[in-house]
Amino acid sequence: MTVTGQSTVASESGNALYLLFRKSQSSTIMNVNLLSEQRVIEDGYRTETSLEQWLVEDSFLEALPSDPSKISVLKRNEHLNYLAKLLLEGLNKRYAVQDASQPWLTFWILQSFSLLGVLLDPGNKQKVINTILAMQHPDGGFGGGPKQAPHILPTYAAICTLAIVGRPGKGGGWDEINRKGLYNFFLSLKQPDGSFHVMRDGEVDIRGTYCLLAVSTMLNILTPTLVEGVPDFVRSCQTYEGGFSCASYARFMEGQLLSFPRPSLGEAHGGYTSCALASWVFLKPFWEGTSTPSIDVKRTIRWLTKQQGGGANMGGFRGRTNKLVDGCYSWWVGGCFALLPALGIQIDSVPRHIDNADDAAHDNDSEWDDVEEELFNSQALQDYIIYLAQAPSGGLRDKPQKSPDAYHTLYNLAGLSIAQHRVRPVPSERDWIPQPGENLILLKEKRILPILSCKDDALDLDPSETADARDARRKRVFTEVYWWKEQESLSQVKGGSINRVNATHPLFNLTVSHIQPMLSYFYGQP
Amino acid sequence: MSEQVLYAQNSAWSDVIPIPQFDEGAKPVAPILYSEEYRDATDYFRGVVRAGEKSQRVLDLTEHLIRLNPGHYSVWQYRYDTLLAIKADLREELRRMDELATTHMKTYQVWHHRQLLIEQLHEPDSELDFIKTILDIDSKNYHTWGYRQWILAHFNREDLWIAEIRYVEQMLKKDLRNNSAWNHRFFVLWSNGRRESGEIQDEFLRTEIQFVKDNISLAPNNDAAWNYYRGVLQHTNQPFSTQLNFVKLYAEERDSDSDTDSEVVLDLDNPSPGPRAVLPCAIAMEFLAEIYEEKRTPEDIDKAISLYHKLTILDKIRKSYWEWRTAEAKRLLTE
Ligand SMILES: [Zn+2]
Repeated sequence: MTVTGQSTVASESGNALYLLFRKSQSSTIMNVNLLSEQRVIEDGYRTETSLEQWLVEDSFLEALPSDPSKISVLKRNEHLNYLAKLLLEGLNKRYAVQDASQPWLTFWILQSFSLLGVLLDPGNKQKVINTILAMQHPDGGFGGGPKQAPHILPTYAAICTLAIVGRPGKGGGWDEINRKGLYNFFLSLKQPDGSFHVMRDGEVDIRGTYCLLAVSTMLNILTPTLVEGVPDFVRSCQTYEGGFSCASYARFMEGQLLSFPRPSLGEAHGGYTSCALASWVFLKPFWEGTSTPSIDVKRTIRWLTKQQGGGANMGGFRGRTNKLVDGCYSWWVGGCFALLPALGIQIDSVPRHIDNADDAAHDNDSEWDDVEEELFNSQALQDYIIYLAQAPSGGLRDKPQKSPDAYHTLYNLAGLSIAQHRVRPVPSERDWIPQPGENLILLKEKRILPILSCKDDALDLDPSETADARDARRKRVFTEVYWWKEQESLSQVKGGSINRVNATHPLFNLTVSHIQPMLSYFYGQP
Repeated sequence: MSEQVLYAQNSAWSDVIPIPQFDEGAKPVAPILYSEEYRDATDYFRGVVRAGEKSQRVLDLTEHLIRLNPGHYSVWQYRYDTLLAIKADLREELRRMDELATTHMKTYQVWHHRQLLIEQLHEPDSELDFIKTILDIDSKNYHTWGYRQWILAHFNREDLWIAEIRYVEQMLKKDLRNNSAWNHRFFVLWSNGRRESGEIQDEFLRTEIQFVKDNISLAPNNDAAWNYYRGVLQHTNQPFSTQLNFVKLYAEERDSDSDTDSEVVLDLDNPSPGPRAVLPCAIAMEFLAEIYEEKRTPEDIDKAISLYHKLTILDKIRKSYWEWRTAEAKRLLTE
């Protein structure tokens, strides 16, 4: 099958996936950067960590092609076939260990399709919707599979999946979401220190915070009551290194929560840092009128940039200081850079060129000197993903010698997307349609809006708010996340458009074309 | 293959109505092709949950399932409910979990379950020893370190804290590049939540700075040690410039003219890099640039910028970051 125009993958079960590719152009051959020979500096003092690093670099150098043109392209068809097989034929029994992550498996597969420019046909979309709805708990929230206990993490994956395949109206998935029940479920997990258990009696960690904030934002159920105290939890997870850890310890004295110090539990980590930074952006609409709490963003940036592996690490990201690079951190760490403008960091001030003409060591690697609009090396990251993270027969992986899986397939592709595109908040000029109940009903009568689950909108989720305050707050939340746009002139696709993947929204890891209709629907905006 | 009889064929379970995962006629996408053993066990698990049964055999069933899929959080949750409901011996449960934690140390739930048990038992002592056996196998296991820190913070016992300093010393001796161990050191000594930075004694700080300098001198290109170094200074509000003499030794090229044997002035406070150290260290150059930035005079800012410029070449992967730091340094002059 060729990667041009529109084509179709026929799966063995007879279903068809419609492929919507951008027209491919002639591909440019990439050159493996010449720095790849530069190795870990051991200072004549070898330890387990440096030895492991050395060995993995060996394996990278071995995995690089002697003829670089051979794997210089994104193996789009191989990945599509790999994913289609998982979706339609199923996952072999080794995946039983992810039996409690079924919405995740579906999300990883479908979002990978989105990034590769593939949409499902209506029949398969409906199957996905039905599968996900079977995992909704009768009281609200989604489980890791049908008839499992509700849990924040699979709830996020389920809602994201419904953003991709769902629609308003009966059977479309969106109206079947039990928002009131979900809201109550979320509230029931809340702790006095602003953290959340991921489920009843479950662990506390910042992934839960991120997933809860993302879902509540998408579904228009993010209330002041829900977010109260959350900023303090998030910032207490920042460690001395600048990245964020998974949780913090809340200390109480005579029943009173001590606000600080709250020690972070665990070390700075790419996944948790991603969750923390995105959470911080979700919390922004709630800062107005109160004193703005702070995290040390500059220290975070320093830590983030240090996670990118130079030399033989080929530009991949590691998830912790002195650990090995891994393809999934392409998204967890790489994706953080796309959040920086929303956190007040202006990158435009970076001078485009520094004159290095006098420097002889600088001659041979013009590949690395492309205009960089990011604080990380997005060109090198594309190298890592294309050269080292692609499995020969489809799917993407942690690193050579590891097998591909659905998780690493998505987070490598999402990292590739982040490295290729700039999706940034843009000021909006569009009007907000006030949202209190009556107006909505009015609008509905005029058939301007699709039928919104109106019963929910009359819900007093947060009795402490007046109707006006509620509308103003919803407007702020909507505006914060809706107006993100790809700045196409800033795309830098290494290897030519044949390697292009779609842009993703850095806050949700959904394409803008998937998240915007869902937000419009739940916020009653045209 | 397990020799276990399927629950469906086991008369002891004949009173339970097994419940399939999907309702009749469902055609799910991305179905997992379960083994017969797993499908059967989960059918019966759904059956007992529906019936609300909490009994010894539910503990057997949930243990069976946990061994097949340690990430099945609903099974863990129901097991914990059952343990409490039937007033099971939680010490025995903890011992049973020792083996599971060893086999499935990367699973969130094995650690969280222990935490729930320990919260009930209030017996942290042997727990730290157990955690040690896991860290001996995997010295950077994230959940294990987090759990260890939770134990220390939660019970907050002086004797545990004191012993912990010795432990982290051992871990760093084994591998001074282990960032988890450095992070733990920071937790134990600085961010344990027990004291404000104002209470820290000068002598204590001095010893600690000496410790990290000695470690840096052994293997200077070690981000973990430098990050700790910076972290301690920032935490105690010490200006970086107090460290100028030490940092310079690592931020500059080795002086090739001088005869190392004859000219070295032995400065125990500021140990020199070893003969095989690769100099200059990028991370020391950054540190030095920040020392200059602290002074904020145009000359010092120029020195910082010149270091950042060198870093765009030496540490090329972070070129655009060093350019940004240059822009940030320039902004200091206008602020
Ligand atoms: Zn990974």
